[in-house]
Amino acid sequence: MASTVAEQGEDERDKSGQPAGDGGAGRTAAGSVQPEVRRNWRVRLRRDKSLILMTLPAVALLLVFNYLPMVGTITAFQYYDPLDGIRNSEWAGFANFRQLFGDPLFWHAMENTLYISAVQLILFFPIPILLALLLNSVLNSRIRSIIQAITFLPHFYSWVLVVTLFQQMLGGAGLLNHFLRSHDMGTWDVMTDPHTFSLLVTSQVVWKDAGWGIIVFLAALSAIDQNLYEAAASDGAGRWRRMWHITLPGMRGVIVLMLVLRLGNALSVGFEQLLIQRYAVGHDAADVLDTFSFYYGIGTQNYSYGAAAGIFKSVISLLLIWGANKLAHRFGEDGLYRK
Amino acid sequence: MSIELNRRSFVNGAVAVAGAAAMSPLIAACGGGGSNSTTRRKGGTNSKKGAAAALPTYVASTAVQADIPSTTGAGSAVTDPGFLKYPANPAKSVSEIPGAGGSYTALTPLWGTIPAANNPFYQAVNKALGATLTMKPANGVTYDTTITTLTAARKLPDWVQLPGWWNSNFKVGELCGTQLADLTPYLAGDKVKKYPNLAAIPSGAWTAGMWQDKLYGIPSFSSGFGLPGQYFYRGDVFESKGINADDIKSCDDLLNLGKELTDAKGNVWAFDDLWPYIHEMFDFSQKFTVTGGKLVHKYEQPEFIEALNWCYKVAKSGYVHPDALAGNNNDAKTRFYAGKVLITADGTGAWNEADAQAGQAATKSYRRESFKPFSADGTKPPRLFLSSSAGEFSYLNAKLKPAQIEECLRIADYMAAPYGTAEYTLVNFGVEGVDYSHGANGPTPTKSGLANVQAQTFPFLATPVNVISNPDYPQLTRDRCAWNSEAAKYAYKPVFWNMNITVPQRYATADAGQAVEDTIKDVYHGIKPVSAFQDALSTWKGSGGGDALVQWYQTTVMDKLGTGQ
Repeated sequence: MASTVAEQGEDERDKSGQPAGDGGAGRTAAGSVQPEVRRNWRVRLRRDKSLILMTLPAVALLLVFNYLPMVGTITAFQYYDPLDGIRNSEWAGFANFRQLFGDPLFWHAMENTLYISAVQLILFFPIPILLALLLNSVLNSRIRSIIQAITFLPHFYSWVLVVTLFQQMLGGAGLLNHFLRSHDMGTWDVMTDPHTFSLLVTSQVVWKDAGWGIIVFLAALSAIDQNLYEAAASDGAGRWRRMWHITLPGMRGVIVLMLVLRLGNALSVGFEQLLIQRYAVGHDAADVLDTFSFYYGIGTQNYSYGAAAGIFKSVISLLLIWGANKLAHRFGEDGLYRK
Repeated sequence: MSIELNRRSFVNGAVAVAGAAAMSPLIAACGGGGSNSTTRRKGGTNSKKGAAAALPTYVASTAVQADIPSTTGAGSAVTDPGFLKYPANPAKSVSEIPGAGGSYTALTPLWGTIPAANNPFYQAVNKALGATLTMKPANGVTYDTTITTLTAARKLPDWVQLPGWWNSNFKVGELCGTQLADLTPYLAGDKVKKYPNLAAIPSGAWTAGMWQDKLYGIPSFSSGFGLPGQYFYRGDVFESKGINADDIKSCDDLLNLGKELTDAKGNVWAFDDLWPYIHEMFDFSQKFTVTGGKLVHKYEQPEFIEALNWCYKVAKSGYVHPDALAGNNNDAKTRFYAGKVLITADGTGAWNEADAQAGQAATKSYRRESFKPFSADGTKPPRLFLSSSAGEFSYLNAKLKPAQIEECLRIADYMAAPYGTAEYTLVNFGVEGVDYSHGANGPTPTKSGLANVQAQTFPFLATPVNVISNPDYPQLTRDRCAWNSEAAKYAYKPVFWNMNITVPQRYATADAGQAVEDTIKDVYHGIKPVSAFQDALSTWKGSGGGDALVQWYQTTVMDKLGTGQ
C-alpha cells in the first residue's frame, strides 16, 4: 500500500507534508518517504540531465517568441497607438470585441476559414497517408527515395514561389492559357475564379506539402513489426487483409494524433498563400481569419481590432484542440499526451 | 497602402504620399475623439489665420539658374525646374560655417544598405558643417517599429525624420510640443530669411509640417506641383505603329486604342491596371468635395461610379494583362519593359533616368512617354488634384535649447541648398575624387560614393525643392518638363490640402474604408459588378460609420478650420 502511495501521490504529499494514509505505519512512512521523494527528484534530474539540457533552448525560444509576446494581447482591450505604446494607450474595454462580433466581414471570414478548412480536411488530409502506403509498397529502395525526394522538395518553396509557379502554368497569361488561346480554344481562368478558389488553394497545399506530410506516416509504418506480416502471410492473408489488419491499426495512433493537431489548427488555413491571391479572386472568397486581422487590423493601423480578432481565434483554437484531444482519449488513443 | 513603408512607395515619391493622402488627408488631430480622447488628442488643426501667422515667408532662390525654368499653372501649382546637365561650376549658397561645434544625433529611414558609421563621407560633411552630426539611418521597412519604441520611452534623438504618411493614423500631433520642438519662434514670417535656403521651400510644404497653428516639421523632397501619378505609354512602340498619343482625347479613344494594341496570342496586352489615377480622367476628388457648403465623400460622387463602370468594362474587354487582373502589381514594370503591356499607370517619379536604363536593358528601343491629361468624355477640361507638397518631415527634439535649435536650423539650411550648388554637391555626391568623379554630364559616383553617399541619409533631414534632372537623358528631362507644364494648367487644390488631420480612433475603420476599397478592387478586376460597390457603400455609410465620419470632418474640421484652400 505504502509503495503505491509513493508512486501515485507524490504531489499530494509534497503539499501536505503528510502521506495520504493514517496511523503509525503512515507516520513512519512519512519519515522515510519525504527524503526519498527528494532523492527521487534528484535522481531523475541526474538521469534526464542531458535530455533536459537538450530541450532548454526550445523552451527558451518558446518563452521569448510565444509567451512573452502574449503581453501584447492587452492591446485588444485598448485603442492602441504605437506612438504611445501599451502603457499610455487609451483603454477600450470590450469595445473592439463588440465591434468585431457585429462585423459581417468578420463572420464571413470565419465562414471562409471553416469552409477551406473542411475542404482541406477531406481532400488534403488523407493524401499523405495514401502516399505513405503507396511508397511503402514500392520495394525498390532507389525508386522509393527518388519519389520521396521529388514529392518532398516543394515543401521548401515559399508560398510566393508556389503561387508564381501556378500562375505561370495556369494563369491568364500562363502556359496553359497561352496554348489554349493560340489554338482558339478559349481560356480557363482557374487562378481568378472565386467559386473554385478553395479547390485551387487545396491543390496548392497538396502539391507543396503532401510529400512533407508523409514523413511521420512512413516513420509509423517502419515501426510496425515485420514478423506480423510474415505470420499473417503464412496464415494466408492477402495484400488487402494485411493492410487492413496490420498496417492501418499500426498507424492509427499517429493518424489520430495528426487529426487532433489538424483540428486544433482548423482556424489556421494559411496566411501568405491567401494573402498573395486575395486580389486575384477578391476578398469575398479569400478572406480568412488571419487575413482579416491583417487587412482590417494592421493594414488600417487599427491594431487593437486585429488583436481582438486574433485573440478570438486563439480561444476557439484552444477549445478545438482540447475537444479533439478529449475525443481521442475517449477512443482510447494517446492524442496529444498519454492520459 | 498607407502603412507600406517600402522602398517602392518611397521611390515613387509622390505616389506613396498621395496614396496615403488620398485615403486620409494629412491634418492634425482635432478634439472630439473617443469618449475620453478629447483631452488626449491635443489641440485643433491649423486655422487659416493661425497658419498664416506661423508660415515662413517664401523667397525664391537665385543661387542656380535652371535650364528649363518652372512654370506656374492653375491652383498656384509651380512645376519643378529642369536641369539638362549638372551645373559645371557649383556656386556657394551658404557663406558661413553653419555649426557652432555642437553634437547631434539624427535618426532617418533608409531603404537600402546602411553605410558604415563615421565613414569618410560623414566626416567630410561634419567638417563642412562645423558640427558633429551622428547619422543613425534605420531600416525603412521597419522604421515604424523603431520610432514607436523610442516615442513610447520618450527617448527620441535630437533630430528625427517622421514620414508624412503616418500623420493621419499615428498621433504625430500629440508628439508635437511634447517631444518635438516648436519651430514657429525661429521660422515664422520673415524670421526664416536668416535661413535663405529654407525660405526657398514652397509654402505648401511648410503648411504640411504644421500642427495646431505651429510649425514643427522641416519638409524634405518638396514640390510645388505634386501629382499622385500619371498614365504612360511605350513611346517607341507607338512610334513604330504610327500612333499619335495626342489623338487620344477621351476614354472612348483610349478603349479603342486598347483594342488596336492588344494581341493576346502574341502575349501583348494594351493595359495594366488603369484604376489608380483614374480620377485624372473622371474628376472625382482626393477624398472630399464641397457641394452647397456640405462635404461629399468621393465614394458618393457620381463621377466615382462612372469611373468604376468604365474600369469594369475595361477589365472585361480582354485588353488588360491577365496578371494585372490577378492583382500582381509587383511585376507591372517588368511587363511594361518587356512590351507585354503598352499602357500603364504609375507614379510621376517613375519617369526618370534609372527607369530608362532598366527599360533599355529589357528592350533596346524602350522609351517611356506620357499621355497629355484628358477628361473622360473629352469635352470638359481635365482636373488634376495636387498631392501633399512634401512627404517627409524632420523634427527637432523639444529638449534642445534655443541656441541648439538655431544651430540645427542652420545645418538644415545647409542641407536645403539648391540643386547644383557646392553644398548640394557635397551632401548628395560627397567629395570629388573620393566619392565621385567628374563625368561628361555631371558627377559619377565611385564605389565609395555608392556605398556611403548614394544611400541617402542627410536628405531626410532637409532638401531643396525637387528638380527634374537626368544628366544622361536630356530629352527625358525636356519631355517631363513639357508634360508637367501642360498638366499644371489643370491643377487644383483638393479639399483639406496639406492639412494634418488625425482621425479619432472610433472613425479609423470608416476612414480606411477597407471593405469598400476591397470591393472597388474586385470591381476593377472584373470579379464583381458595380452593384457590389453600391452595396458595400451603403453598408459603409450606415453600420460602417461612413456617414458619421463625414459628419465629423464637416463639423470638426471644415466648419471650424476650412478646407485648406
